[in-house]
Amino acid sequence: MSVLEWEVPMVATELPQALTIRDLRKVVTTGFWARRVEILRGVDLTVAEGEVFGLLGPNGAGKTTTLKIVLGLMRPTSGTVGLTLPREQIGYLPENPYFYDYLTGEEFLRFSGRLFELPAEVREARVRDLLNEVGLQEAAGVHLRKYSKGMLQRIGIAQALVNDPSLVLLDEPMTGLDPIGRVEVKSIIEGLRRRGKTVLFNSHILADVAELCTRIAIMKAGVVMWEGPVETALAQSGDLERFFVQQVTA
Amino acid sequence: MSRVFTIALNTFKETIRDRILGVIVLFALAMIVGSVWLGAISLGQAGRMMQDFGLVAVTLFGLVVAVFVGASLVRKEIDKRTVFVLFSKPLGRSEFIVGKFLGLCATLFVVTMGMGVFLFLAVWYVGKSPAPDLLLACLLIYVQLVVVVAVTVLFSTVTSPTLASVLGVCVFIAGQLSSNVLSLTRLGHSPLVKAASWVVFVAVPNLSAVDIKAAVVGEQVSRPAALGLWVGYLAAYCVVVLLLASFVFKRKEF
Amino acid sequence: MRRPLALAALLVVCAAAVLVYQSTRPQASGADARIFVPSPRFYLDLSPSFRTSIADAYWLQTIQYYGEHLRSDGRFDSLWPMLDLVTTLSPHFKQAYFTGAFALIDAARPDLSYGLLRRGFEANPADWHFPAYLGFFAYRFANNKDKDRIAARWYAKAAALPGRPAYIPRLAAALLTRSGARDKAIAMWSGVYAEGDKYSREKAVKALSRLLATDPQQRAKELASVQTMMSPEVFFQLLEDLGVGSV
Repeated sequence: MSVLEWEVPMVATELPQALTIRDLRKVVTTGFWARRVEILRGVDLTVAEGEVFGLLGPNGAGKTTTLKIVLGLMRPTSGTVGLTLPREQIGYLPENPYFYDYLTGEEFLRFSGRLFELPAEVREARVRDLLNEVGLQEAAGVHLRKYSKGMLQRIGIAQALVNDPSLVLLDEPMTGLDPIGRVEVKSIIEGLRRRGKTVLFNSHILADVAELCTRIAIMKAGVVMWEGPVETALAQSGDLERFFVQQVTA
Repeated sequence: MSRVFTIALNTFKETIRDRILGVIVLFALAMIVGSVWLGAISLGQAGRMMQDFGLVAVTLFGLVVAVFVGASLVRKEIDKRTVFVLFSKPLGRSEFIVGKFLGLCATLFVVTMGMGVFLFLAVWYVGKSPAPDLLLACLLIYVQLVVVVAVTVLFSTVTSPTLASVLGVCVFIAGQLSSNVLSLTRLGHSPLVKAASWVVFVAVPNLSAVDIKAAVVGEQVSRPAALGLWVGYLAAYCVVVLLLASFVFKRKEF
Repeated sequence: MRRPLALAALLVVCAAAVLVYQSTRPQASGADARIFVPSPRFYLDLSPSFRTSIADAYWLQTIQYYGEHLRSDGRFDSLWPMLDLVTTLSPHFKQAYFTGAFALIDAARPDLSYGLLRRGFEANPADWHFPAYLGFFAYRFANNKDKDRIAARWYAKAAALPGRPAYIPRLAAALLTRSGARDKAIAMWSGVYAEGDKYSREKAVKALSRLLATDPQQRAKELASVQTMMSPEVFFQLLEDLGVGSV
């Protein structure tokens, strides 16, 4: 089902907001002489409930930093992050994830479930269902150190969903996946959208972004260069890749 | 509390799988070799030597585990970026610190008391009679090492694992020399030296107060009531250190 | 091919050098009679736990030092400093005093042996072994005309301590007799009789028979002073055994 067939409003602010970012700035000091580097220079973003939002940008644009500030892993220098959901309803997959390699897939999901203080029956049922959903039921008893990159990515998505979150943040979810893996992850993301979840993900694979997202934002050098519906971008350039290049080289 | 327990259990699994139990095996072998060797060279004092040097070995082996594992506990999570996964969930920073601390304390208990049991059996074999005070001495060594773990975890939140380990060892040594520092507060000529010594004396945990090795080998009389108070003091010390570590860790960005 | 061979050759040569040098070192160096022993005062401020470990480590060194020099040159220059260190840091380490005292005899220093044992007795006043050893050392090694009396005094002290064996009071009494302290000897032998077994009583009666006056009346008078040392039944038995029962 393509993006154009979804009933997506043109203006995100008409829908309830899952995440609102206003004038977000982040300055870090680096090096022996504590040189100040401005990573985010006034980011404005709005993500509506129930939409699949793509956050794009070249390396070093500030996408991961933005996500980390949303999750509380970093503190903003200034600006606001309006998040309507508590931490218990957020799921996160980091970029190039590393998990506890001495745990099996099942043990790791159980550990993640315990951190949400899920009741035992709910936790066990969810672990089982998630392992099936990400196609790792056969590898459930295998230690994570023996997992391939793709398997790690899939267990990562599973741990991001263990609490049945309303907002799912995925940082480069397709990285390292083979084409079959990518199809599976895309189908998971579509499933989340169908269930009314809000998804925000970073990706360099623009074809996937075009296929999955309702709206996108393009960042460069710590600011949002463009934010709007995917179809608007496609209408302007015919091709998301061309549009992206135009925005970041402008 | 259950999140603290979850982190503690995970840490225990992580550290106990790290071949750390090999330390116990190494210690057991050392005890066996030591009992034969000491029997030959100590002129009938093998029992006393085994108790003394055995407790020293328990302390040193335990210290190695406490500082080297304790120093990398937090840093490992940051370097391997598992903190991203952890703190995206409703896990507080202090819950994380306390959970990691408790997990390592559980591992340290297994290692220390495992060595203690081997020492007890070796001394029983050599001395032909059991010495239950040895197990109490090992338990008190464990209490000292718990304090070292807490201090090392605090240092690891602000500096590298190597430096945190070195500082952890320094605190252990300073804790054993606490009475010397107290002497400096009384004997130093300069008010500045006296004041600085007093600050160091209060800041450094008095680990020697719960060391009963001298009593186990017959050089001192152990005072149970005083011991109880000192253990309480060390528990309070740990709480202060962990609160500081949590405060520092809360300010950290990843 | 040449490189692995070269590395293997290097390994063999270095391993051989290490083994040969290490295994010939004892013959090459020769044990020195004078070794550095730190003064105990440097360690006195350390915690008791540290002090006992240092004492035990030095104890092992002391034994090795003593054994080595006993078999070789017979020089024990550093023996006393080592024993001083061990016993200062671990004053309840009794074996160090006893073994050390005998080792110091081999070092031709009976005065230091005596001093060491006295120090040990001060630190362990309830242990009968110390005065017993002091008595033995005084009797055996003292170059003193009063050595019997001094030894007797020590054995008497040992006799008064708990846990001492039965022969200690007998030794004390015998030495008091030898030293000419008649009244004390009578009292000591009476004490042996009062608490001794059959053998001790026989010894006591024999000794008292020689010490006391031969006249029964006089003998009974001399024994009056020891009446309070024993129960009336035992006292009358003693009088019977000494042939003054009818007086």
